[in-house]
Amino acid sequence: MADWQERITRETNPAVRIEHDVRYALAVPLIRDSEVWADLGCGNGVAAADALGDEPVARAVLVDVEQSAAEEAARTVRARETTPLRADLTDPADLARLRDALAGATGTITCFETVEHLANFAPLIETLAELSERFTVLLSVPNDAFWALENPYHQTVWSEGAFAELRSLLPAGNVVAHQVSLSGSAVVPEVEGAIEVEVPVRAGTDAVPTHFLAAFGPDAGRVAHLAAVTQTDLEERRRWERQREADLAFAEAAHEELRAAQARLDEANADLERVIGEREDFRRYIHELEERLGLPRSGGEPAALPPA
Amino acid sequence: MRVAFVVNDLALSGGIGVIVQHARQLTDHHGFAAHLVLARAWEHEETWRYDSLVGLPVLTLEDARAQHWDVVVATWWETTHAAFTLPADRHAYFIQSLEDRFYYRDEPERVGAALTLDLPVAFITEARWIADTLADLRPDAPCHFVRNGIDKSTFPPLDGIRPHLDGPLRVLIEGNPSVWFKHVPEAIEAAAMMREPHEVTVVTGERAELSGAPIDRLLGPLTHREMAETYAQSDVLLKLSAVEGMFGPPLEAFHRGATCVVTPVTGHEEYVEHNFNGLVCDWDDLRGTARLLDLLARDRRLLHFLRTNALHTARAWPSWEQAGQFMAAALRAIHREPAPAASPAAAAMLADIRGGLEAYRVHLAERNDFARQVERVERITKQPVVAKVLRQRHRPLARRALALARRLLSR
Repeated sequence: MADWQERITRETNPAVRIEHDVRYALAVPLIRDSEVWADLGCGNGVAAADALGDEPVARAVLVDVEQSAAEEAARTVRARETTPLRADLTDPADLARLRDALAGATGTITCFETVEHLANFAPLIETLAELSERFTVLLSVPNDAFWALENPYHQTVWSEGAFAELRSLLPAGNVVAHQVSLSGSAVVPEVEGAIEVEVPVRAGTDAVPTHFLAAFGPDAGRVAHLAAVTQTDLEERRRWERQREADLAFAEAAHEELRAAQARLDEANADLERVIGEREDFRRYIHELEERLGLPRSGGEPAALPPA
Repeated sequence: MRVAFVVNDLALSGGIGVIVQHARQLTDHHGFAAHLVLARAWEHEETWRYDSLVGLPVLTLEDARAQHWDVVVATWWETTHAAFTLPADRHAYFIQSLEDRFYYRDEPERVGAALTLDLPVAFITEARWIADTLADLRPDAPCHFVRNGIDKSTFPPLDGIRPHLDGPLRVLIEGNPSVWFKHVPEAIEAAAMMREPHEVTVVTGERAELSGAPIDRLLGPLTHREMAETYAQSDVLLKLSAVEGMFGPPLEAFHRGATCVVTPVTGHEEYVEHNFNGLVCDWDDLRGTARLLDLLARDRRLLHFLRTNALHTARAWPSWEQAGQFMAAALRAIHREPAPAASPAAAAMLADIRGGLEAYRVHLAERNDFARQVERVERITKQPVVAKVLRQRHRPLARRALALARRLLSR
């Protein structure tokens, strides 16, 4: 079932959570080498904090449309200096404040799963293109057109085509990566309980991407491949698939029953029509007899078929 | 930012509709002062106007020349000359199709249209196949990819699709039969070759051209809203075009719950998936196309599957509001970045002129050769004896004599 939880929390579905973790993990080597790291649309900072681990980064500018989220992120992310910044990334004035906060610095900007939430993303893209002279920018958008999911939180629809449009606006030398979904299985001896395993896995751009990522700026070429797998909740997935299967079978059976009922009704109507026809013949015969005998006509008006 | 879109006219067409929508979005949501500039004077007022044209300034070329523009955008190959007469910081070219393909091989406009792709401009295009082609032709020129949006208020996606379980297959064909590359007569012929029950509706601005055609309903010209209603009453849109840019009509049909049967025309690859949201037929295969339509008429489960997926495809297509953001960003980038260098453009143009001259020379040599052959034949036919024979050749005696002569010559 679609889950429209847009903030990543400790309770987020592991399959969704790991997508965020992988994106931040991709940025970690760049962030660690940065004078300043800005996270646009940081939320409460859980995914970033998990990817960065315990070793603090130099300076983090944590930007969110909600002040409380930016402040929560500033508490969650380990950095020697944190700057929570409330900013509406569609507002040129707020974008100017962001530029001021990053003035004279170099480093990394992450902007994951944020663009699709903006009613007007053009000013942000222009700002990022400008900042990419000093900052390496990593941004992502979902491939929501593939599934055609209508996410009520998304202001714009993203797809391979929309990403190609976005890419045509990015500075030359940009690096594009596809985030793809993995599926797997593990055997765990009962006595071992929960285990940590390293899994060799093949992932390619021939698969349908769940997200599109772009990197641009001085260190864009450092973006490398990365993968992670996590245990998923098969029970919930099974419930959803079985429900859909059952609903479909139910609808098909109901439809068949309706068709059969319609056929029986058509047959009954034909029988009724025949009986009414016979009765009309009989009525006409009786009326002829009554006329011949000089008697008044019996019965009422001819019967009609009930409306279909 | 002051932007002038130079247009040839404001007649109702898909291409002009796209420009009007962009101008509207730029003005209403992005702080632009977008103007439409007519590249040539029109003697009479156009009868068809767009709702979204209201409030958009339309200037004559003369008036536009008296102003300075941040970006001037040519929108059709014939508007490029006019565009370059307007004073501007930057000149751009919005390409909706490779327009040389609209003309036959020996039409001079074909070369003219192709040469405009060599101008020192920044390109904006609505189709990825055009962006890819431009990247090959003009790697030196910036090219921004801005897809057309869909007017979701005029073509609102249906909430759901009601299965069409029985009754004739409702086939819709749209386009003007006089436009050769739209292949409207061929589409009508293919639909007429169906064996299963069907109802064919044709929407066209040229109704007189189709009198006596084997169709059930002839409509048009229709407003966009009426067109949306007509799509909603159809199961399948049949389009056999040979040339398309972004290929909008099937996408509009998808919004209203119809699937499509289309040729593998440029633009279809952006959103039509064979056997998923539509069917792709072969080129010039009317019989095969009729069989695909028959399949949809027979297999209502497949029809419903395609229509359902078509609607999902439509829901994921951007609105004009989203498309307008890309256009605004593209125009700002064009204005911000340096103007494209003239030298690579000049080199490309001179190479194409050279190529055009060679093609013209070959063409002319062929024509001269044909002319000489015709001259020889005419010289012989003007001989008094031959002329007399030709005049008499339909008479019984002459026909017998000619048959005898043919028999003797064939030995």
